[in-house]
Amino acid sequence: MTAVLEVNNLSKRFGGIVAVDNVSFTVNDGDILGIIGPNGSGKSTLFNCVLGQLLPSDGTVRIDGQESTGMRPCDLNRLGVSRTFQLLQVFPQLSVRDNLILAGQEHQGSMTSRLFGRPDAGLGDAADQMIEFFRLSHLAEEQAGMLSYGQQKLLDAAMAFMAGPRLVLLDEPAGGVNLTMLGLLRERLQAYHAERKATFVVIEHQMEFVMALCTRVLVLAEGRIIAEGAPEEVRRNPAVIEAYLGH
Amino acid sequence: MRRLGPSALAIAGVVAIGLPFLLKPFGVYLISMWAVLTIAAIGLNLTLGYAGQVSMAQGAFVGIGAYTVALLTAAGWPFFVAFILGGALCFVIGWLLGYPALRVQHHYLAFVTLAFNTLVFLVLRNEEWLTRGSYGIAGTDRPSLFGFSTDNARAFYFVCLAILVLLSAATWWMMRSPWGRAFVALRENPIRALSLGLDTRRYTLMAFALGSTLGGLAGGLYAPLVQFIEPGSFSLNMSFNLLLMVIVGGSGRFFGPFVGALIAVLLPEWMRIAEGYYLIVYAMLVMVLMVFCPTGVLGLFEKAFRPKKAPPPAPATLKAEVTR
Repeated sequence: MTAVLEVNNLSKRFGGIVAVDNVSFTVNDGDILGIIGPNGSGKSTLFNCVLGQLLPSDGTVRIDGQESTGMRPCDLNRLGVSRTFQLLQVFPQLSVRDNLILAGQEHQGSMTSRLFGRPDAGLGDAADQMIEFFRLSHLAEEQAGMLSYGQQKLLDAAMAFMAGPRLVLLDEPAGGVNLTMLGLLRERLQAYHAERKATFVVIEHQMEFVMALCTRVLVLAEGRIIAEGAPEEVRRNPAVIEAYLGH
Repeated sequence: MRRLGPSALAIAGVVAIGLPFLLKPFGVYLISMWAVLTIAAIGLNLTLGYAGQVSMAQGAFVGIGAYTVALLTAAGWPFFVAFILGGALCFVIGWLLGYPALRVQHHYLAFVTLAFNTLVFLVLRNEEWLTRGSYGIAGTDRPSLFGFSTDNARAFYFVCLAILVLLSAATWWMMRSPWGRAFVALRENPIRALSLGLDTRRYTLMAFALGSTLGGLAGGLYAPLVQFIEPGSFSLNMSFNLLLMVIVGGSGRFFGPFVGALIAVLLPEWMRIAEGYYLIVYAMLVMVLMVFCPTGVLGLFEKAFRPKKAPPPAPATLKAEVTR
């Protein structure tokens, strides 16, 4: 079986700083891989290299066996790779519904057919289902900028799922979200995973969230992988404890 | 605002059709100018207001359209062929001008487009073999429709109005399509848009090209309306004026350019009595508006009719991440 995501010897240097240092890992169909590590350990840079936002200095990325290194984010997205961002990234002036339609519309037809097609690109029902799934029905027509932080986080996640992606990369989905909302977010992500057999990669600091959600965890420190395995295993690993508490 | 929409639109329609029968020729000229400049402002509103790409070169496109029509009709081409060609030429040049926008944003993009406007002005002035330089071109023929001449002011006003209605309907329809949503996404958060599969490069170029096309089409009506064009008409002044119309009217609002152009065309005329002080008063009015209502006159109306909601927080930006 080919891996959904395959990262080989990936490095990213910014001048003299090596942010990601020769990292390799694979993510199989249906995995929820957690990536943890102290601040500055290269998690977000790794994400950005995988997603085409940054060009890696070395190494390759493959999606379903197809080389994708250096592809533009929009092309990668159309291959079925979707993401959420660490900082909030919704379109504040668009309604919740329009945010979701936008998240799916570029997967429908060509640019010309979108101009002459239906205003909602045929995605109205799908958007309403997604709104329902993430418990945002009462807010569907609100401008996204009017939502609370936690609700915007839910919308952000919903947008990543809108086009039915093969692989979703979530960059700190729990950051700054209160506990009630966090429970809902985790529960919805698990439900989506169970329903659609989607594959996730999650960067997260909130340990409880990672331990409850992920099937496998990878620990980064100073740009290198220092541990990999089941959540419980990783938590007891002395190298991991050292990286988090040491110096 | 939305409930008021249909009735307000109907009243505006009646006024737009009835007004020329009440006005003297100069008044008809002014409302024709309003229609023409509104078309150009709709174009700029598309590029700047919806898609968020700063352009200080809309006046240059009006100039390119105007010269295309003036030169081609002088060479014996039919008006509407020249008119369409002027728009098409601006589409191509606008597309090309969009390329810098893929590299630079905001103030820097303003400078690039400003330089382009100056370049067009210099070409129009210096390439005398083609444009007759500072002497300008006089007496561009007005079109005849089905054998009827539109030489008189009122008939030509209706040509301008019909084209305005046609082009704004097309723009409205486009903004309702997924393209409209994509343009707004481009303005609000290009990085997120890119990660959702939006080809931001193509949409940016398209926003520039379509906005410039509307500028060129406005120019195609400007030449036969004014009956005399010279390079100075299309200097930075006109670009600033169009920018002002978009912002005063309400940037990113569909009817913003209509209101903005009305103010920018009529206010100077009403304030003739103030003579030289007119610009001072005008500038102060604009400053007061910008301080108290940065969303323009239409924003002011919306506030008045929907007083409850708080303004949305500023969109979060991702400064550290690199876009390509």
